[in-house]
Amino acid sequence: MSALTLGMLLLAGAALAGPREQARRIHDRIAGVPPDQATLTAMETDITNGNPVAAAMRAIENPAFYNVTLKNWITPWTNEEQTVFAPLNDYTATVIGIIRDSVDFREILSGDILYVGNASLGLPPYAMNNNAHYEALETQHIDLKANLVRVTQSSVTGLPASATAGVLTTRAAAKAFFSGGTNRAMFRFTFINHLCTDLEPLKDTTRPPDRIRQDVSRSPGGDSRIFLNNCVGCHAGMDPMAQAFAYYEYQYDMANDPEGDNGQLVYNDVGMMDPATGTRVQAKYHINSSNFKPGYVTPDDHWDNYWRKGPNQRLGWSSTLPGSGDGAKTLGEELANSDAFAQCQVTKVFQAMCLRPPQDANDRAEVATLVNNFKTNGYDLKQIFAQSAVYCMGD
Amino acid sequence: MFTSTQPKTAANTRISGSWPILALGFAAVMALASCTGGGAEVQPLPDTNSGSGSVPNYSGPPPATEDVQRFKINVWDNLVPENRCGSCHIEGGQSPMFVRKDDINLAYAEANTVVNLNSPSESRMVQKVAGGHNCWLSSDQACADIILGYISDWAGGALGGQGKTIQLVAPPIKDPGASKNFPATSSDFASTMYPLLTQNCSRCHSEDSATPQSPYFASADVDTAYLAAQSKINLDNPTDSRFVVRLGTEFHNCWSDCAANAQTMEAAIVQFASGIPLTQIDPNLVTSKALLLTDGILANTGGRHESNVIAKWEFKTGQGTTAFDTSGVNPAIDLTLSGDVTWVGGWGIQIKDGRAQGTTAASKKLYDLITATGEYSIEAWVAPANVTQEGPARIVSYSGSTTARNFTLGQTLYNYDFLNRSSNTDANGEPAMSTPDADEVLQAALQHVVVNYDPVNGRSIYVNGQLINTVDPAPGGNLSDWDDTFAFVLGNEVSGDRLWQGTIRLVAIHNHPLTPQQINDNYKVGVGEKFLLLFNVSDHVNVPDAYVVFEVSQYDSYSYLFNKPFFIILNGAAPPEGTPIKGMRIGINGREAPVGQAYANLDVTLSSASYNPATGQPLSDLGTIIALEKGPAGDEFFLTFDQLGASTYTRTEPPLPPAPPPTDLGPFPDVGIKTFEEINATMAAITGVSPNNPNVMATFDTVKQALPTIEDINTFVSAQQMAITQLSIEYCNALVEDVPAREALFGTAFDFNETDMGVAFTPARRDMILDPLLARILNAVPGPTPVNLATQPDFNATKAELSSLIDKLTVCGASCPADRTKTVVKAACAAALGNAAMLLQ
Repeated sequence: MSALTLGMLLLAGAALAGPREQARRIHDRIAGVPPDQATLTAMETDITNGNPVAAAMRAIENPAFYNVTLKNWITPWTNEEQTVFAPLNDYTATVIGIIRDSVDFREILSGDILYVGNASLGLPPYAMNNNAHYEALETQHIDLKANLVRVTQSSVTGLPASATAGVLTTRAAAKAFFSGGTNRAMFRFTFINHLCTDLEPLKDTTRPPDRIRQDVSRSPGGDSRIFLNNCVGCHAGMDPMAQAFAYYEYQYDMANDPEGDNGQLVYNDVGMMDPATGTRVQAKYHINSSNFKPGYVTPDDHWDNYWRKGPNQRLGWSSTLPGSGDGAKTLGEELANSDAFAQCQVTKVFQAMCLRPPQDANDRAEVATLVNNFKTNGYDLKQIFAQSAVYCMGD
Repeated sequence: MFTSTQPKTAANTRISGSWPILALGFAAVMALASCTGGGAEVQPLPDTNSGSGSVPNYSGPPPATEDVQRFKINVWDNLVPENRCGSCHIEGGQSPMFVRKDDINLAYAEANTVVNLNSPSESRMVQKVAGGHNCWLSSDQACADIILGYISDWAGGALGGQGKTIQLVAPPIKDPGASKNFPATSSDFASTMYPLLTQNCSRCHSEDSATPQSPYFASADVDTAYLAAQSKINLDNPTDSRFVVRLGTEFHNCWSDCAANAQTMEAAIVQFASGIPLTQIDPNLVTSKALLLTDGILANTGGRHESNVIAKWEFKTGQGTTAFDTSGVNPAIDLTLSGDVTWVGGWGIQIKDGRAQGTTAASKKLYDLITATGEYSIEAWVAPANVTQEGPARIVSYSGSTTARNFTLGQTLYNYDFLNRSSNTDANGEPAMSTPDADEVLQAALQHVVVNYDPVNGRSIYVNGQLINTVDPAPGGNLSDWDDTFAFVLGNEVSGDRLWQGTIRLVAIHNHPLTPQQINDNYKVGVGEKFLLLFNVSDHVNVPDAYVVFEVSQYDSYSYLFNKPFFIILNGAAPPEGTPIKGMRIGINGREAPVGQAYANLDVTLSSASYNPATGQPLSDLGTIIALEKGPAGDEFFLTFDQLGASTYTRTEPPLPPAPPPTDLGPFPDVGIKTFEEINATMAAITGVSPNNPNVMATFDTVKQALPTIEDINTFVSAQQMAITQLSIEYCNALVEDVPAREALFGTAFDFNETDMGVAFTPARRDMILDPLLARILNAVPGPTPVNLATQPDFNATKAELSSLIDKLTVCGASCPADRTKTVVKAACAAALGNAAMLLQ
């Protein structure tokens, strides 16, 4: 860009903004594209009439909000590399659909819910073992606002309804976080993406280590201080919760499809048995059992939240939930009903609309207000986008 | 008919024919040792194989029974040489005369008074030597282990593989006492004991001394010194501190008068300890009685298969620079530790940057005994420090250089490698046999590894008792090419350039392969010293002799393993039916251990249905590790319970510390940049060109990863501007070449085919191009007095810039190429589009 133009622009940006300028910024931030004159004028009128949220809701009607802003906001959550360049997938589409339809956002971690492209589009149908359906939606620039259709996972993927847990049981999440490993990745990335914290800040070495699996060496490289001072801090709380995923696996042909592009989520339903464990528990939960023979041997998918006590009670767990359960759905409810979940979603939206994290007391107060609005208005995230964009529309 | 037998030596064990007994003089050992190369000075070792170490011919009455014969073969033959017990405990000598030469049956009777065949480790003979009685090595423990091996062989322990029953015996009853604990920081130590240690001990007990001797309690780094010194200090009873005992009664390198030096040391410890407050036990806790680790019952059940062991290192010595071969098969391959090799608690050595190497002369035992059978096993308990080392990094090796060996057990990343030189491999034992990459068999955790070789089946690798499924790339052959001039080494190549880092807790070489069952048995026996700790809880359950029993061992230098707790009543009474045991925790030195309380959620009810009088009632299958504080001799353990019988303790979580006050971030810029797909969508919206246009799609796919991915304006770089320019040119090209699209934006009046630039770009025609473009980009309303957004560039100024660009591109006037008009429009369009006005949000 020419230096002259940039200088002119930054100078202009410093000028006092009227309702029309505010409307333009709201539209830029929400839709990522400039408005046409008619929309801008209508938004200006809304703002002049003291209803800036209505102006923001007009910008939200722009399909680019769904196809561009939301898609790029959500995509990094769906892969371990956290890259925005990953293809559209069922995880991203489902969150977009939930926002579009103002569905209670807590459903993303527990609902029997999935969004697919309208059957009339003639796209490759949703498949358990590939992502072609969503990639076609993306490469053809199909209007997601108009063409995403809500269905249930259980009707499409064959998972029992009780085994569905929102985006956690989508194919994309399974490919990213149930593939190989020990399923702890699903736990960690759910915390990163939906509670806005990695595990390091949550380290609490004082929780009982009775559920730490056998695969965790108690003396890494011959030095048990590492375990006692570090490993136990995360594993003591993580392992009893990640047990919720004990019946899930992402199955793929490691030799011929190392990326797992044609793999699929599998779940050991009632009556099924893993030959390695002799129970419904997937073999990966018993791997490397010789690392510490007296460690915990996972018998089922019962989870307990040890972090309801100790410093991690700060995450604000719901007092109306028991703090334990069986399977991913109830764990998803436990996480989604925490204060940290609401705070995290609102903060992410704030950052997307204001292009900065909450930076001072005013911003923090605004986020607190938005969190309260989010919780008391049915966890409708679309409203939070509108309200955040208004807060940062400029003076 | 009685036949004479010889003691276990390299010369005669399992080898037929006549072999000379190796008797190398001290000078010969030195000479050969100095040839092994690789830096570190080789320490001279006591020569235990020379001089009067030969076995006298026995000519007395034959053994009266088979057991006497077993005694003779296993014990008498090995201890009768004069450099063992044969110069004193013989007829007419010192009692008991268990190696008398005149009558083996009388020697047998004498020996029976000082051995315990049911529990060989409790034999008086073993304990006497362990206590320092005329050991022929520099380590009393090593002598005791060797004698223990002889007695165990006599008792048949080595052949049986059967676990024995451990008799539970009530320990001394004492309440957990208040105790002093080491402060977290070294400051008090630095001002009291540290000056004394650095002044008098740093010539050896410091890493940077010329002759470094672990532990480094006189290190130049006070924190290192403090950690190393803790196990030598008894805070509760300074007189019993190892530092004081070592000077006062063992006369270890006193700097003047030993008694006075010991007093000085004690005074320093008293000064240090007096500044440390007692840790008082919370009187509300429900506690068991207390125990030291040494109050426990030795729980090693034996049962290792060692009938063909020819060399064995258990690393029990814990100090010095020699790891003794305690196989009892002579000559012993005692290993010299060199470089950064430290002893680890609970038996073992940790190799950081060094090795443990035997002399070539002693190592020849392996050559002699293995080439005689043509087959062998290497067995090791190892904990690799990481899964990144390769080379292969040498764990156990009998070799001459990086390219010549008899055998090597090594590590490459997640794999164990086994190299064996045979008639079907090269001189380096290659091709190597390795565990499969994908299995990631090798872990940075304590593992039991056995590699077997025999000429029929070739090589095989067992890890943690399991055969690893992999094919030997070379068929089995004979070992006739083995070289007897190589040296046995742990943790490196003999040339010192294939370092392996990790902990080794046991190595045994067998000259017949272990069977899969034997391997599994040895794996299950485990490694290290185990104790049963009986914590008395009679006060709370109202039953005499009631105990909660743990299997406890030192797990590594920094922790204890508490495992498999059970409840038992020693007097045979029935358990108190219905008694609850809830919330059990392990206490150490007057307080509950802060980390590792794996039984905190325990909830068990005692009942006779779950109770076995011999084995009690299991409380949990779990084990846990508890941090070591003062060391096995000083740490006092006890148990606490939230509920035990009628006794309860109401536990409260410590209050949540206040959340840290939020800090202000930033300030951040008020504006940001559009990201890649926003840029694409914006250009599509402004030009009206579909992003599905094939040329646009292709260009976008090419440049999208070079476009901005985050909104932060501070991350904007020139490469991103280049990508934006490319994409804007592509959009403008598509726009100008697509008649309906360009007419939708620019109207139908503009002539794109005009060749005279003076006509094509009159002011009015420029308006046809620039006004609609800028109107969309800037959300401005063109006109004589344009309506401008205050936050966007000025409409007229921007237009003047673009107009001046057109001027420059149209100097060819009427003699321009035919497509000049289109080109100029594309250029003006691209300049307007690929611009900060489009990019900023």
